[in-house]
Amino acid sequence: MDLINNLLLGFGTALTLTNLFYAFIGCMIGTLIGVLPGIGPIATLAMLLPMTYSLEPTSALIMLAGIYYGAQYGGSTTAILVNLPGESSSVVTCLDGYQMARRGRAGAALATAALGSFFAGTVGTLVLAALAAPMVELAFKFGPAEYFSLMVLGLIGAVVLASGSLIKAIGMIVLGLLLGLVGTDVNSGVSRYAFDIPELADGIGFVGVAMGVFGFAEIIANLEHGGEKRQVFTDKVGSLMPTWDEVKQASGAVLRGTGLGAVLGVLPGGGALLAAFAAYTVEKKLGGKNANPPFGQGNIRGVAAPESANNAGAQTSFIPMLTLGIPPNAVMALMIGAMTIHNIQPGPQVMTSNPTLFWGLIASMWIGNLMLVILNLPLIGMWVQLLKVPYRLLYPAILVFCAIGVYSINNNAFDVLMTAAFGALGYLFFKLRCEPAPLILGFILGPMMEENLRRAMLLSRGDPTVFFTRPLSLGLLIAAAALVVIVALPQISRKREEAFQEGD
Amino acid sequence: MKLKNAKDFWSGVMFIAFGLFFAGFARQYDMGTAARMGPAYFPTVLGLLLMAIGAFVAFKGMRTESEEGHGRVDKFHFKPLILVLGAVVAFGLLLRPAGLIVALLALIIISSLGSGEFKLKEILPLAIGLCLLVLAVFIWGLGLTIPVLPAFMER
Repeated sequence: MDLINNLLLGFGTALTLTNLFYAFIGCMIGTLIGVLPGIGPIATLAMLLPMTYSLEPTSALIMLAGIYYGAQYGGSTTAILVNLPGESSSVVTCLDGYQMARRGRAGAALATAALGSFFAGTVGTLVLAALAAPMVELAFKFGPAEYFSLMVLGLIGAVVLASGSLIKAIGMIVLGLLLGLVGTDVNSGVSRYAFDIPELADGIGFVGVAMGVFGFAEIIANLEHGGEKRQVFTDKVGSLMPTWDEVKQASGAVLRGTGLGAVLGVLPGGGALLAAFAAYTVEKKLGGKNANPPFGQGNIRGVAAPESANNAGAQTSFIPMLTLGIPPNAVMALMIGAMTIHNIQPGPQVMTSNPTLFWGLIASMWIGNLMLVILNLPLIGMWVQLLKVPYRLLYPAILVFCAIGVYSINNNAFDVLMTAAFGALGYLFFKLRCEPAPLILGFILGPMMEENLRRAMLLSRGDPTVFFTRPLSLGLLIAAAALVVIVALPQISRKREEAFQEGD
Repeated sequence: MKLKNAKDFWSGVMFIAFGLFFAGFARQYDMGTAARMGPAYFPTVLGLLLMAIGAFVAFKGMRTESEEGHGRVDKFHFKPLILVLGAVVAFGLLLRPAGLIVALLALIIISSLGSGEFKLKEILPLAIGLCLLVLAVFIWGLGLTIPVLPAFMER
């Protein structure tokens, strides 16, 4: 069996002492930052990315993946104990998790979230391992026209499934694509939009963009409200053991959440956030009326389903990223950026050219999930203490790590100034309700899209119908168009708003 | 005329401005043909697209009421904006001439003024602790080459 051999190779790589160490550090730091409210996984990854520069590419990606699902995990702790989502996909967990905490069942909620996530992570990793090879096979059939159409589908899918105004999100994508084009054009060697600034000739650093637009803008927005008051349920986390009745209720929810999350994670624009929303809605529909206690008042299914769904989704969203080189969401866009920094060209060839990296990363995800259970449950008291640190002391520390991180990418102070500029732009986006996540996706895909468009048009001798005459490409474009049409239909768009409102 | 949804209107204006910028400066570069695209081709197309999207969003902002309550743009809080970003800029400008420690102190003290509850008694220990942590992790631990002391004191 190929799968077994591949997984053995993966575990062989992931179980070396060095990689275990970096997986551990990644999970640890990820949880640490995920627990802190107000910094999402995107900002966390952008902030910590520079710390991985000096590592081997495999270790670096293992550590970054650890940070990602660590942040995911930590977010649920905050959601349950403080009713503040540490990151956006924990929004749903707040609804029932915090209510459980108020009734003295915080321990059971935390344990359910942790064990449900671990189960979902295991399944997600297996799905990823099983689907990787066939997906790569498919990817090799893709020419430049198909790649271009796939990116169009991915970008459209990302905005359709996101919340907020559709047309503004498309605008943000286009703006991101344009920002991605700054720098030297690979085909002609012409330096575009660099205005004789040598630092811009290599393009705008994506870490700076992500950190400014997400990290800095978030900090400024948080400071608007002044000193916040939060009530932390620190003293009475209670027993970690769920009751037998809770176990019975939760296990079905975990299974459903995992299945739903695994499917939604693969879709463009999917991933953790959408999976969590969908899983919660499904649980509510399935006998939510007779639930005792009702949903929204501390039902354990309301914690188990979204928590397993977001973890399963987080794992399977690696599939398009690893096999096609196309990020389905902003977090994966950052992972692509990380690969490029380590001189690994993302795409289907990664599996054949860097098999140890590919399978090692997959195996390390399972190990990371295991570590998280071990880390989180006994150490819960430590994370709780962290929640007591006031924000006024926290954000200068975050800024310090951001500033040093950006500087150390190229040892260049110009990048620090540019990040500040993107911080100002991000604050403007925040005020105008323009979502920054599509911008990051566009930013990463900009150069790739231009490259494939050029190649496709060169091969067709300037005939743009090539995108419609090749069946695979046509199918992808039809899917993209169908998505836009469906969402633009009045009934559906109302439903879509309701669905996103529910979480607020 | 009164704007029904100022957030959308100004978003549209922002998109138009960016589109104009990218499409406008693309004129300096070679357009090429559809078969052999020059460096100006893709940005010009995208710039025009962005302007069209911007025009649509701005128009919608003038005509359609916002769904989420009032459509006004929330007040800009310039104090945290200027202090946080100013602190980062100060760090960037000070790092080379004055070294890491001075730059870090500037970053921490200026940025913490932005919270509105600045207490020197709290910030000084924080600043010292963070400086030591950064030195331990980045300089001694990861071995990054960042000037630690002011340029005139480094050998």
